[in-house]
Amino acid sequence: MQYKDYYKVMGLSRDTGQDEIKRAYRKLARKYHPDVSKEKDAEAKFKELGEAYEVLKDPEKRAAYDQLGAHWQAGQDFRPPPNWNEGFEFRGGGFTGGDAGAFSDFFEQLFGRAGFRPAEREQYGFHARGQDSHAKIHIDLEDSFHGATRNISLSTPEMNAQGQVQVKHRSLNIKIPKGIKAGQHIRLAGQGSPGSGKGQSGDLFLEIAFNNHPLYRVSETDIYLELPIAPWEAALGAKIKVPTPEGDVDLKIPPNSRQGSKLRLTGRGLPAKTPGDFYVVLQIALPPANTEKAKAIYQKMREELDFNPRPTLGA
Amino acid sequence: MNSHDLLLVHTGTVIEEDSLTLGQLCRACGVHADWVISLVEESIIEPQGGELRLWRFSGASLVRVRSALRLQRDLGVNLAGIALALDLMEELESLRAQMKIIGHN
Repeated sequence: MQYKDYYKVMGLSRDTGQDEIKRAYRKLARKYHPDVSKEKDAEAKFKELGEAYEVLKDPEKRAAYDQLGAHWQAGQDFRPPPNWNEGFEFRGGGFTGGDAGAFSDFFEQLFGRAGFRPAEREQYGFHARGQDSHAKIHIDLEDSFHGATRNISLSTPEMNAQGQVQVKHRSLNIKIPKGIKAGQHIRLAGQGSPGSGKGQSGDLFLEIAFNNHPLYRVSETDIYLELPIAPWEAALGAKIKVPTPEGDVDLKIPPNSRQGSKLRLTGRGLPAKTPGDFYVVLQIALPPANTEKAKAIYQKMREELDFNPRPTLGA
Repeated sequence: MNSHDLLLVHTGTVIEEDSLTLGQLCRACGVHADWVISLVEESIIEPQGGELRLWRFSGASLVRVRSALRLQRDLGVNLAGIALALDLMEELESLRAQMKIIGHN
């Protein structure tokens, strides 16, 4: 078991006052809260922070932790000394709130097991039925476009018969209905947490998100493709083969098309009662002036075209 | 896992817009109805249907209620603060999505 330096986690020194611990926690919690933060390891950091605060905010636990001494290094192999917590009394296994099941072995060894907040379930009146659980799954755009069967893996913290929290891994084959959108949910009845006694299992709610696609971007039921075109294709018009999830289509670029123009292929977005649209966004690519010939053409354009790209700037 | 599990394909139900009752939403998020009602009063989630027993919530409400719960529990944010934070986060998300569409990853 590894020693955890709760002061280091919170960036505090050992003589920090109780008030300052609270302020430091609030600040760091905002920074690393998984709903707010975009930092990659925000969730792990937030859990670590929650655990540190759980100990340091409580004068009893903090005092017990402090008397382990300051000579330990974070990550160092740790065994609690015998009778280390003699004289300390922790209410309810030492656990007062927060997100249970997430605390480290180190915490559990010192302050006992948090359990999995069984009180909450009872408090809300669903005695026997298992809790509903939630997971976010990432699918490919094509899965929604055509419908698919996908294997997903889930990890769920569960309490075993001895009251220990264990992370259980399982995989499920699920049907992805055609036309499902990012942000929609699929409910799988009976796939949530098991019920107690003869109670039914809860349901599993899967929130759908799309993997980044190499070509397409999706917004609701509409699909967007960025299409690079040459200046003469934009100026003179052209017929270009473009990929769509249903296969290539010949797209007519009207003459005098402008950078960023959107061309719509109605009904070629995600399938639905009213199917989404497919948008092609034109990106004009400039040929590099890296040969004498190319330079000559640009020079000719400068001399012969009366073109001001900045008519609104005045200068 | 046996071979039966490997072959089993689960077909779920898609939660259509405005299909969850108050009870279903509470159960799915593990929260008390009173708290959900206070979220509705603060316009944090907006059900269809006039009176309480006819309320129907969207699938997106599941995400908002669970975020609201975490904001309150972890950061001690009050209801007005939750409403503000969720709206700003939603705006940020939609701006990020637009950036993606115009190619600034």
